[in-house]
Amino acid sequence: MPYLSLLIFIPVAAALATLLIPARYTRAFPWITLGVNMLQLIIFIAMTLHFSSGEGLQFAEQHAWISLSLNTWGELQAEYLVAVDGLSFPLVGLSVLIMLIATISSWNVSRSRKGYFALLLILNGAIIGSFCALDFLLFYVFFEFMLLPMYFLIGIWGGPKREYASIKFFLYTLLGSILILIVMIGLYLSVQSPERANEVVHTFNVLHMQHLENFIPGSWLDATSTGTWRLWAFALLFVGFAIKLPAVPFHTWLPDAHVEAPTAISVILAALLLKIGGYGILRFVYPVFPDGAVYFSDWVAGIGVVSIIYGALNALASKDLKRLIAYSSVSHMGFVLLGIASATTEGVAGAIYQMVSHGIISAMLFLIAGVLYDRTHDRLIENYSGLASHMKHYTAFVLIAFFASLGLPGFAGFIGEVLIFFGAFQSHSYNNLVPLWMPVVATLGLLLGAAYYLWTIQRMFFGTFAVRASYAELNDLTAREYAMLLPLAVAALLFGILPQLLLDFINPFAETFTGTWFSLGINTNP
Amino acid sequence: MNQPVSMIPDLLQIIPEVLLAGSVCLTLLLGLFVKKNRSVLLAVVAATVFIVAGIYILTSWPHKPEEIFAGTLRVDDFSAFFRVLFLAGGLLTLFISLQKENATEYVILIQAIVLGACLLSMSMHFATVLVSLELVSLCSYILAGFAFNKPSSEGSMKYFLMGTVATACLVYGISLIYGISGTLNFSSSQFVDALMQSKSVMIAVAALLILAALLFKLAAVPFHLWAPDVYQSAPTPVVAFLSVVPKLAGLALLIKIVLAFNLFGRATVDWRMLVAGISIVSILAGNLSALAQTNPKRMLAYSSIAQAGFLLAGVATLDPTGIQAALFYAVVFLLMNLLAFTALHLFEKWKSLPAMADFAGLGRVAFIPAFALTMALVALTGLPPTAGFTAKLFLFSSLWASWSDSGSTIMLILFIAGLLNTVIALYFYLKIPYYLFLKETPPGTASIKISITGNFLLLILVIAVTWLFLNPGLLMGWINRITFVL
Repeated sequence: MPYLSLLIFIPVAAALATLLIPARYTRAFPWITLGVNMLQLIIFIAMTLHFSSGEGLQFAEQHAWISLSLNTWGELQAEYLVAVDGLSFPLVGLSVLIMLIATISSWNVSRSRKGYFALLLILNGAIIGSFCALDFLLFYVFFEFMLLPMYFLIGIWGGPKREYASIKFFLYTLLGSILILIVMIGLYLSVQSPERANEVVHTFNVLHMQHLENFIPGSWLDATSTGTWRLWAFALLFVGFAIKLPAVPFHTWLPDAHVEAPTAISVILAALLLKIGGYGILRFVYPVFPDGAVYFSDWVAGIGVVSIIYGALNALASKDLKRLIAYSSVSHMGFVLLGIASATTEGVAGAIYQMVSHGIISAMLFLIAGVLYDRTHDRLIENYSGLASHMKHYTAFVLIAFFASLGLPGFAGFIGEVLIFFGAFQSHSYNNLVPLWMPVVATLGLLLGAAYYLWTIQRMFFGTFAVRASYAELNDLTAREYAMLLPLAVAALLFGILPQLLLDFINPFAETFTGTWFSLGINTNP
Repeated sequence: MNQPVSMIPDLLQIIPEVLLAGSVCLTLLLGLFVKKNRSVLLAVVAATVFIVAGIYILTSWPHKPEEIFAGTLRVDDFSAFFRVLFLAGGLLTLFISLQKENATEYVILIQAIVLGACLLSMSMHFATVLVSLELVSLCSYILAGFAFNKPSSEGSMKYFLMGTVATACLVYGISLIYGISGTLNFSSSQFVDALMQSKSVMIAVAALLILAALLFKLAAVPFHLWAPDVYQSAPTPVVAFLSVVPKLAGLALLIKIVLAFNLFGRATVDWRMLVAGISIVSILAGNLSALAQTNPKRMLAYSSIAQAGFLLAGVATLDPTGIQAALFYAVVFLLMNLLAFTALHLFEKWKSLPAMADFAGLGRVAFIPAFALTMALVALTGLPPTAGFTAKLFLFSSLWASWSDSGSTIMLILFIAGLLNTVIALYFYLKIPYYLFLKETPPGTASIKISITGNFLLLILVIAVTWLFLNPGLLMGWINRITFVL
């Protein structure tokens, strides 16, 4: 069964089918989307049953796509190549879950529902496609394919400053993807496929790019060449993905986009699109340019630490609840960078764990902000106090989400951060890639995280009840809101108490990931 | 010289052009008899000729390179490729502009430009170059004024004045070349030998003068100044046509001339540097000027200046891979530009839209044209899922390859500058979709009646642009077989 193709193309086909249904059947569109999500969930569960962790890439599908001659330059070959391993499988699962929640959250979208759900479905396919593609060109196409739906989803259904936010998002991300494109063109022209030994076949296959012996001797990105081109390529590719992550100082699109986007889109942005940045670094940047990764390791870790602290400080200063959550995302994604930079099994596994847990928790956080916004159309923290007395169930979920996000033991966020710190502290004595002071400073981020969350809880939920915003009724959670918050809360707890559930997938990948580094002789201090 | 008798086999080689010339005469005659409200008939006749001529060229693919008419024209795959493009461009233009006023003249001019462009792509001799280039130019000047109002006349006049200067440059350059080499046939060995032996600075001067005339046709910097006024004031179908056929005709000739003057790399002028420089400046100037535009057609004018820069980028590599990338780009450019202008035209038929802000909310009242316009602009930006992306991918790959091979820094600069320009381009290309979909429909906007044929044509073009993205191998496979012998 072509599981992955089904996951990717069912939503795309459904989006096309949606276009044929007249717009007046407004109730059909969310149901169709929900049906697609359910179908994807079933497929994913079936895949989980067949997935054998520790076996590397699985469910591979390989078809020829573009194959043409470049005259004296040999042949160009791009394939439809999709597969999942311990890195992408958890992220695909996360995507399936989050897209389902996003559909439930969008149930009451009022204007042009046909367009909204069609775009949501296209986005769905593109996100899963980017996590599965192992052909660089295919990845790039899926990656770009996300931008246009996202632009319209923010720009049409967003908040008051949506137009500014959407164009800013698009321009920033496009700049990032152009940097990726520059390196991609250089890479495929420097790499030849080992499959046909006697001919020069330039391939986009990422797995081939990860082997230094496949680089054509004398090409610009050849590992044996003395120039600094490979370092440049690493830097460009890294910045391209760091914009998506986002890491300070490339993060400025994020607060605007998050704040202006409708709730469901904020959820997708935070939970999934940011992960593509981290995924890209783990899948493309580090394995293809291990030399650059060593050379720039303290830069990568440093950017991570700056993101952690700077994001947390900004969150502390935010007056808008959604902006606070957006900056907390910047802070949490900084941990991912720190873990990756350490290049230890713990650090890398922690980074992936952090991506999944942040996906779950940030989705919860944005939904929580959305619940309040739906009722009062006001997100300013200072306008609320004592909400706990009127919205008990809501407050319970807020507490779960906040504590999970600040890294309380027992929640998923804790596992990821602890593993990252293991890796980062270990790196100093193990491979000397991350200076010792960096994780020390990063712990400050945990403290700040606790500060802004606890302070927000105190300001908004405790004390005497007062709301300085016009509202009709401040009801507690509806059944629909329960339906989207409960699965996420359960997942956050489950992966906090039973980390093996995820680590069984992640660990083998992290081990091979760092293992290849040993074999390359990169390890500076074994 | 040739005897009249021996012209028959040569004429058989250019049956499509003979057909076109015959059709021009036929249209002239038919115009006298066909009533005004039946003027569709003229377009149908012309369209049939385009289709027949196109099929004839396609069926005789691949061509054995053959020189005809005493070496003034050459029938080969390269020219066949461009001739099919021109015929397709003419055909699509007729589809979107079945107008009643002055139909005879309109159809004749379109056919004549296509005829001139076809001859230009086959020319190997400066005499035929001059004649066919003038055929294209003179008809274009008239077409540019076809709105018959003051701005249109002004645009036409500007086009004409600058065009005349360009022609003068061309003639002057040709005369110098003739003085140096003693031949007007730029594919002959006499031409190459003479230029290689001569150390005269005059060769560079002459080459630059000739280049200037071609850059004018391409609307590339610094000979682009006519484009915004003409594009803004001429009728939209005419702009669609002018932005494609004469431009690509200029490209076809430019490729041949540059390769000829490059003398296999032994020329005194660094052609790679020159063409790459023009390309960078065109891309930058076009994109930066487009940022400030509020009129959609003026914006597309600057966009097409930038696109000319991209077309030139492939030529700048001076190697087959780059030129093939440029040819692929040319096909995609034809499709996406015609798509953009067709969609624009369908909107304009409903009401005049002098500013991009007038598009506010129209995406909700006319989805298909709005969607098609968005696709065209996304393609012009160079994003997937359109062939615009594929074309840029091939183009920039060839630039990297050229940089790798030659090590000339200008190629790397062009590579990076071109790619980063995509971000600038996105900003202005997105303006129209922004108004179409993000802005509210102003109250009292009636629903637009777009003809079914119009929507159908748009969808065909959208499918073509996406299909070339999904499956570029077929077209690129044909292009790959084109050889660039001189």
